[in-house]
Amino acid sequence: MFCIIALVVLSILGIFSAANRALAREALDCVLRRMTFRPCNTGFDEKMKAKILGAVIMRSERLARFISKYFEVLAWFFFILFLGASLMFSRGLYLFYVTGSCNGLNQKAFCVFDPAGANNEVSAVSSAVCTYTPGGENNLTIEDVNLGGFPTLNPQDKQPIVFVGCYACDYSRKSYQAIIKLVDHYHSGLIFLHYPVKEKTDYLNKVGYCAYKQDPAKYWQMNDIFFTTDKLNLDDDGFIQKSLNDLGFDTNALKTCVGDPATELAVQKQMNEIVKTKFYGTPTVFIKDQVSVGPKPYRVYAVELKGLFYWLQ
Amino acid sequence: MDVTRFRQDFPILQDPHITYFDSACQSLRPQVVIDAIEKYYLQMPACSGRSMHRLAANVTRQVDQVRAAVAKFIGAAKKEEIIFTRNTTEGINLVANALAFRAGDVILISDKEHNSNLIPWQKLVRTQGVVVKIIPSQSDNTFDLDAFDRLLGQGGVRLAALGMTSNLDGASIPFAEVVKRAHRAGALVLFDAAQSAPHQKIAVKALDVDFLAFSGHKLLGPSGMGVLYGKTKLLEDMQPFMVGGDTVATSTYETCEYLPPPEKFEAGLQDYAGIFGLGAAVEYLQNVGFDAIHKQELLLNQAITNGLINLPGLALIGPADPALRGGIFTFYINGIDSHRIALMLDQMAGIMVRSGQHCVHSWFNAHQITGSVRVSAYFYNTLEEVNRLVENLNKIRKVL
Repeated sequence: MFCIIALVVLSILGIFSAANRALAREALDCVLRRMTFRPCNTGFDEKMKAKILGAVIMRSERLARFISKYFEVLAWFFFILFLGASLMFSRGLYLFYVTGSCNGLNQKAFCVFDPAGANNEVSAVSSAVCTYTPGGENNLTIEDVNLGGFPTLNPQDKQPIVFVGCYACDYSRKSYQAIIKLVDHYHSGLIFLHYPVKEKTDYLNKVGYCAYKQDPAKYWQMNDIFFTTDKLNLDDDGFIQKSLNDLGFDTNALKTCVGDPATELAVQKQMNEIVKTKFYGTPTVFIKDQVSVGPKPYRVYAVELKGLFYWLQ
Repeated sequence: MDVTRFRQDFPILQDPHITYFDSACQSLRPQVVIDAIEKYYLQMPACSGRSMHRLAANVTRQVDQVRAAVAKFIGAAKKEEIIFTRNTTEGINLVANALAFRAGDVILISDKEHNSNLIPWQKLVRTQGVVVKIIPSQSDNTFDLDAFDRLLGQGGVRLAALGMTSNLDGASIPFAEVVKRAHRAGALVLFDAAQSAPHQKIAVKALDVDFLAFSGHKLLGPSGMGVLYGKTKLLEDMQPFMVGGDTVATSTYETCEYLPPPEKFEAGLQDYAGIFGLGAAVEYLQNVGFDAIHKQELLLNQAITNGLINLPGLALIGPADPALRGGIFTFYINGIDSHRIALMLDQMAGIMVRSGQHCVHSWFNAHQITGSVRVSAYFYNTLEEVNRLVENLNKIRKVL
C-alpha cells in the first residue's frame, strides 16, 4: 500500500526534483511488482520508511515510535484516504465536465476548477418586480408553461431548447452565444423567453414580440445584435430604432404594434407564463430533462443535448 | 595523533554534515591524492613505456617510481614483483587464472571470505577440477589454526587463499603462522590484504607470503587501482591470462615473446592517473604512520564498542575485544532491518555506515543472518563522531 501512496506523492514532487523522479520510478517498479504478486525487491519500502523515521525522530521520538509501530496501518489508512480522495476527485472532475460544477448541476459550493463559481452565476430576479417564489433548481419546470407564442427556431424539433434570458444580463449574454452555437451545429429547436431582469429593458419585450410577429427570421438577427451590442445601447431608443431599420423591419408598423394595448396584454401573458417556470434568475436553460441555471460552458449544454460523447456526433 | 590536522587534508571532511564510518568499503581521499591524479591529466597525459617523447618519458619514470614506492610500502624485494591491477578482485583473479592448477589440487579458504576470494576459486572447481575446502572459524569468528592444520594435514593443498583481515568483523588471521604452516605443508599462500594494507605495516618478504593483493581505494588511493604482489619466480612461471598490448617484446603472425613480469601481466594501456594517485596515497599513509593509525583505530573502536555493546538486542559479529577488530564494529539487531538503521543514521545525522551482507553472503547464509550494520572507522575519525554515532543509534533503538 505504501508504494502506491509513495508513487503518487513522489510523482508530484518529481515534477520539481530529479531525485524524487528517481524515487518515483522505484515506487512504480515496486507497484508493478506488487500488482503481479511479486515482492518489492528494490528495498524501496525500507528506504522510504527509514527516511521518514529518520526525519521524524529528530523532532519527536514518540511520534517516530508511533509511526514505526503502526507503519503498515498508517500506510493502509493513507491508501484508503487516497482512494477516497481519488474517487471524490474523479467524481468532481466528471461532474465539472458534465455540469460545469464539481458538485453537480447548479450547485454553488466551491469547485477548484471554477473557483470563482462563474458557471453558476445568475442575474437574480428581484422579488419586487416579480411575484414568483424562488424554489430552487428542483422546482424549475416547463411542464405547465404555454410556450406557444414565444419566438421559436427550428420548430420541427419535438424537444427544443428553452432559453430564459435577458438582453442586458451579462450571464445571459454569455450563455446565449453557446446556445446559438449549439443550435447552429445540431439544428436543434430553440424557444427564447425574454425576461427583462434589468427593468430598463422592459420595453424590449414589446419590441421583440412585435418584431417576431412581423418577421420571425429577422427577429433572430435582432436577437444577435441585442445580445452582442454594448449594454448601454439597449437603453438608447435611437440605437434600437436604427438596428431595426438596418435589419429591414417596417419600423412604423413596429411602433404601432408596440403602442397597441393588445401587445401589452400579450406580453404580460407571456411574462406570466415565464413565471410559471419558477425560475429565479437568468440564464435558465431547459434542455431535454435538464435545467441549467447560470452561464454553463458550451460542453455542458452539448452534453445535455447530445450525451456525454457529443463530440463524436 | 593530531586528527584535526589530518582532517584538514580531506576535502570531503570539511563538510560538517558528513560523518564517514564506511572506510572498510572505501576510504576518503586527501587532497594530495586528488592533486596527483590531476597532475597526470594536466602535466603529462601520455603513454608510459611506448612513445619516446618527453611527456611519455615523464610518465614512464613516474610509473616506475610509484611501482618502487609500492614495493617499499609492502616490503617487497623488487619493484618487478608489483603488478598494477584494478583492485584486489582482479589480483586474485589473476592468480586464479594464471597459476597452474591440476585437477584435485586443494585450495583452502576461510568461512568468511569476501566474494572476491571465494567466487574465483568456485569457478576453478568447475573449470579445472580443483577442490575448495573451507576452514571453519572459532566460535568468536577468529581464525582456527588447528582447523587449518587439520586441513593441511589432509594433503594435496596447492594454495591457501585467505583474507588477512576480515571485512566482515575486522579480525585478522595470524598471518605469519599461516604462511609458515602452509609452506611446511608445501602449499602456496595468497593473502587478500584489502582490509589490512590500509591499517598495518606489511612486509611481504619477511612474511614470505607468495602472493598478496590489495586495492587502492581502501588506502586513500583512487578507485579502480589495485596491486598484486607475487614472488618473482612464481610470476615468471605463470602464464598471463589477459594478453595484448604492452605484454610482449615482439610478435609474429603465429607467436609472440612475452615481456618479463610485471609487464606481461599488465595488458593494455594502464590507469596512469590512478597509479599516480596510488603513489601519493602510499606516501601519505607512510607519513601518517601505521603505529599512529593503529592507536587511533583502537581508541575509536573501544569507544564504539563501549557505547554500543549494551544496546538492547545488539549482537556483535566477531571477537568481543575491540583490539582484535581493527576499526570495525559489525552488529545486527534481531528483527530490525540493517538497511533501515543505516538509512536512518544518514537521514538523522549524516552518518554513513555500511549495511547488508558486505559481500560475505556465504557467511550470512550459513549463519542464517539476514544482514548487519558495519561501522568502520579510520584514523581521520574522531571521538566526537563516535559519540554522535552512539547517541543516534541509541535513539534509533528506542524507536524501532
